[in-house]
Formats: sequence, structure tokens, C-alpha cells
Amino acid sequence: MPWYLYLALKQLFPTGRRFPFFTAISILGVALGVAVLIIATSVMGGFGQKVREMTVDTQGDVQVRAEGLIENPAELQAQLAKIPGVVATTPFAEGPVGILFENKPQFPGLQGIDVTRVDKVVPIQRYIHYGTLDDLDDDSIILGSQLAIALGARVGNKVSIYSPLLWEKLNTNEIPIPRELRVVGYFEFGHQGLDSSVALVTLREMQDLYGLGHGVHGINIKIARGLDADMMAARINATFPPQAHLRARSWLDINQDFLFVLQFEKNMMFFLLMFIVVVAAFSVTSSLLISVVRKTREIGLLGALGGKPRHVAACFCFQGFLIGVGGTIVGLLLGFGFLHVRDDIVRIFTEITQSEAALERFYQFSHLPAYSDPAYVTAVIICTIVITTLAGLLPAWRAARLRPVEALRSE
Amino acid sequence: MSDSESEAGVSPPSGKAGGVPEPAPVLNARGLVKSFLSGKQRLEVLRGVDLDVVAGESVSIRGESGSGKSTLLNLLAGLDSPDTGSLAWSGEPVAADRRAAFLGMVFQSFYLIPEIDALANVLMAARIGGKLGGRERERGRELLARVGLSERGHHLPAELSGGERQRVALARALMNSPKLILADEPTGNLDEHTGDAVIELLLGLCAETKTALVLVTHNVAHAKKTQRSLFLHEGVLR
Repeated sequence: MPWYLYLALKQLFPTGRRFPFFTAISILGVALGVAVLIIATSVMGGFGQKVREMTVDTQGDVQVRAEGLIENPAELQAQLAKIPGVVATTPFAEGPVGILFENKPQFPGLQGIDVTRVDKVVPIQRYIHYGTLDDLDDDSIILGSQLAIALGARVGNKVSIYSPLLWEKLNTNEIPIPRELRVVGYFEFGHQGLDSSVALVTLREMQDLYGLGHGVHGINIKIARGLDADMMAARINATFPPQAHLRARSWLDINQDFLFVLQFEKNMMFFLLMFIVVVAAFSVTSSLLISVVRKTREIGLLGALGGKPRHVAACFCFQGFLIGVGGTIVGLLLGFGFLHVRDDIVRIFTEITQSEAALERFYQFSHLPAYSDPAYVTAVIICTIVITTLAGLLPAWRAARLRPVEALRSE
Repeated sequence: MSDSESEAGVSPPSGKAGGVPEPAPVLNARGLVKSFLSGKQRLEVLRGVDLDVVAGESVSIRGESGSGKSTLLNLLAGLDSPDTGSLAWSGEPVAADRRAAFLGMVFQSFYLIPEIDALANVLMAARIGGKLGGRERERGRELLARVGLSERGHHLPAELSGGERQRVALARALMNSPKLILADEPTGNLDEHTGDAVIELLLGLCAETKTALVLVTHNVAHAKKTQRSLFLHEGVLR
């Protein structure tokens, strides 16, 4: 091992000393920055991924909508099925309704789904925690779990559905009679917004409630695994004649503003939290500068023994590098360790502060999601090591500039 | 000042009679001049120093405080450059690259690296010289044994006495088998008894290994133990 690397190691981890204080504090400073970066970007990544999963699970990969209604969905589905890469399609209709149960009103969005085909496109069954899709018929409804709680409706209860068509009947002096639907199950996406404001009925029931005839509002499409959703949307659009007024959009396109905000927040958080590492790097610079001053005569000795200035500089630069590597390893362990027990920590915290309900309401999720994007983890590792190595440059430059003859003479 | 000091001049001892050629000088300095700026005034510390030292020879340099002994030693070590004059190591120009292999240095303040043990300090000279293998490690241990510290190799400098630290520094100076050792008041921080022992050891080791020695000292008794004793006065060696 070259002498300057050996000496850098020995200055950080002196022989016979179990707890090198300066090294430990420097590494810990960097490690805290890395840990916070890993935790923050992973939790942000988790939120993002959860939202993405939920979006795809509820919308499919690609969605086709018309300017008005799609009057002949079966024909369109058959046309779509011929496009390479399209795995399955399912029509849907949607709109707001009023639901009343024992004088408790709620105004969720009602989704009409084709129970025979929907599971081939969006895995709704996975989220139905009570009951099954097979239980859903034209006289029944599946409520979001939070919506059911808000209404106080249980499985077997009948709820009254008021569609916008009923208001039209009022205009013609007809007596509006709401549809009575039996609750046959609850679904829970784990997203408070969806669980409290969506209910599922059959497509036929939705068409009836909204007077759509055989028309639907759109068709959800599942594409083959590994295919790019934007590319598939473009491929599908290319098959539509201009006069059809149909448009396919990928889930990425439909939610682009929201996804941009998610990504922007994550990037900004990464950028801002990186300043913790920068601050830690400044403390490394300060400590190494003090070390250069304290070891002036030793640096002179190294020159007197034949050490070259660039090797003296490398000795201090390598100390910054080693602190960066050590801080990154410890920080990764701390960060991933925290992520491993994050739900326990959040539970303890919410129990102490009695804020579990508020947390769910505000953050939409019933547990803290986390996804560590390898690209971000790599960026954290590289940035931290580069920054801390740069932190050693100024002390290294100072050390290299010392003339042995003056350094040996210094008091 | 002794007669030998006043008469020794700066020439190496003459060769044996009968035309035996003199050994080539390990150190050859001619007309070294060095001055420093002190405020607006230029102080000429060395005013044309000539010095030849041959292999295995020991030379002491005495002088008053501030007479320029350490400045001269720094010039001889190639750590500083003269204003005028020439210097050669074994007949070749001084170069920083050659320093690790050509010379060893011993200082008044020992200058051991506190984070590494005695043996590692000795081996540091070999590390910087770019050759540290099994043979060098063995030599390091032998040198420590030679200076009486075979049992203290794994002790940190802080765990050693002043005399022991200086002995480690001696071993370090000899580690690369240099041709020349420059010692700058090596007993300045030691008591008289320990200082005497260190000088005996230094002279003995240099004689054993045929290493030339330039010893800067205030101590007349130590100076007398060298083969040649010089006095630096008003910037000139006498």
C-alpha cells in the first residue's frame, strides 16, 4: 500500500485506539446526511410507487375515451383486441351519485364495471376485502371501506342511489324514486381518497342510472408486460380514424401533472437534503484543516523523508474519501435499518401523539410506503463520496504547499 | 575551539600515503551562500560554505545559536536551495527523488508519527522510499533490536521515553541504508546521560554501516567524538 494511503488510514484509525473520536464524529455526520437522504427519497419513492400502482390498478395501462359516449363498445373492444400488445379490454361508465343510508347522505363517484371482464384489466378483486366481484349483480353495490363507515352501511344493508337523472324527473313533475341496492362487499385500495369516495356497481346498472343505453364513457386496456404505455397509446391512436373522435391516453399521460409534482418533490427533497452532506463535508474540511495545522512538523518530516507534495496532498484527500465511504456505508445501514422498522416507528409515534387517523386522512395511506430507487441510492452514494473527497481538497492543498524546511521549523 | 576545529577546514581527511586515491565524497558542497530577508534587511547567514564528507566519515558542526547550522543542514539535505553555490550527493546533483534512498535525518524533536507504533515509524522511511517487503520489515526489526528496542516495536511513541523515541528516530534514519545521515542537535531534548548514549549509538551505527554523518551539536564532548569537528562562524565553516 502506498505510504500516503497507509498514513491516511492510520490517521483516521490510529494504532491502539479503539474509538477514534474525530473519525467517528466525521463519519457520523456524513452518515446522518446519507441516512436522511435514503429515508426521505425512499418514502417519497414509496408514495410515488403506491400512487402509480393504484393508478394502474384502477385505470389500466391505457384508457380510451370519446368526446361523448362510446356508443358501441363491443365493436371498439374487438378492434382494440386486434392491436398487437393489447392483452385485454374492459368498458366502464362513471359519474357522481348521491347515496343515502338511514338519513346519512354521501356523494361518491360511481363506477360501472363489466364484472365479467374487469379483472382481466384491473385487479379489483385484490382490493375487495369483504365479498367478491361474483357477488356483484344489477341489484347490488360494493362500497369503498371508508364510504361504508361514513354511511354506517354494512353488508346486507340496502342503500338508496340518487342519480342525476332523478333531478331531470323533478323538472317534469315526476316523482323521483331512488334505486335500492344491496351492499355485498367493501373494497380498500389503501388510499383514503378512493376508499371514501368511490363505489362499484355493474356496468349495466350504471348505464341504467345514467340513461346511457349501451354506451360507455371509456375503455380500460391492459397491455403486455414490458411494453411502454405511451408507445401503446400512440399505436392505438394510429388505428382510430379522425372522424371517430376517440383518443387513447396512457396512465402516465392522464396523470402527468400529478406524476411531475411527485417527481419534482422527490428531486427537490434530494437536492435540499444533500445540503446535510455538504454541511458534514464542511465539518470534515474544518477538522482536516486543523489536522494539517496540528501536524505541520510531521508533514515537514514526510517531506524530509522523501515524500512528494502530491503524495502528502493525496494523504489528506484520501482521508476525506475514506470518511465519505465510511459515512455512506454507515448511512446506508442506518437508512435501510430505519426503513425496515418504519411502520413500527410510525405506529409508536402515532400512538404517542394519537394521530393515526389524522395521518391516514392526510397522507392517504394506512402504512408508510417505501421504495428505494436504485438510481437515487446510486446518486446518494456517488454524490456523498465525491463531496467528502472534495472536502479533503483544501486541507490537501494546504498540506502540499507546506515547504518541509518551514514546516519542520514551525512551533 | 580546538586546534583540530581551526585547522580542519572543510577538506576531507587526506588519503593514505603512497598514492592511494581518496574515497569519493558522499557530500560535496562548494560556495554555499544563503541569505534571508528580515524586514527590509537581507541577512546573509551562510557566506560561502565548502564541505566535503566521504563515506563512513563523521563530521560535527558547532556554532552559536543563530549561526546558521540548521540552515546549512537543510541545504545539505536538499530541503532548501542556496542562493549561490553547488551541492552534490555522491557526485550527482541533489534531487528530491533521491532523498529517501540517499540520506537519513535525525532531529532534535524526534518527529515520530504519533498514530503508528515504533516499528511502523522505522518502516515509514522504507514506505516513502517505495520499497517495503519482507526484507525491509526484517531490517526494521533488526534496527530496532540494534538500538535496544526489540521489545518496544509495538509501542506507540507516546509510550516511549525521550531517549527511546530518539533511538527509534535513529533506526528510521538508517532504515534505507543511506549513504549520509544528517543529525540536527539530536540530543537537544535529552538529559546528559541519555544524550551521551544516543550519540554513542549514532556514531557506532554509522561506523558499523560505513554511513557518513554530519552532526550539528552544541555539545563539545559530542563533537569531539566525531572524526572531524567544524565550527560555523560568521557564515563560514572553519
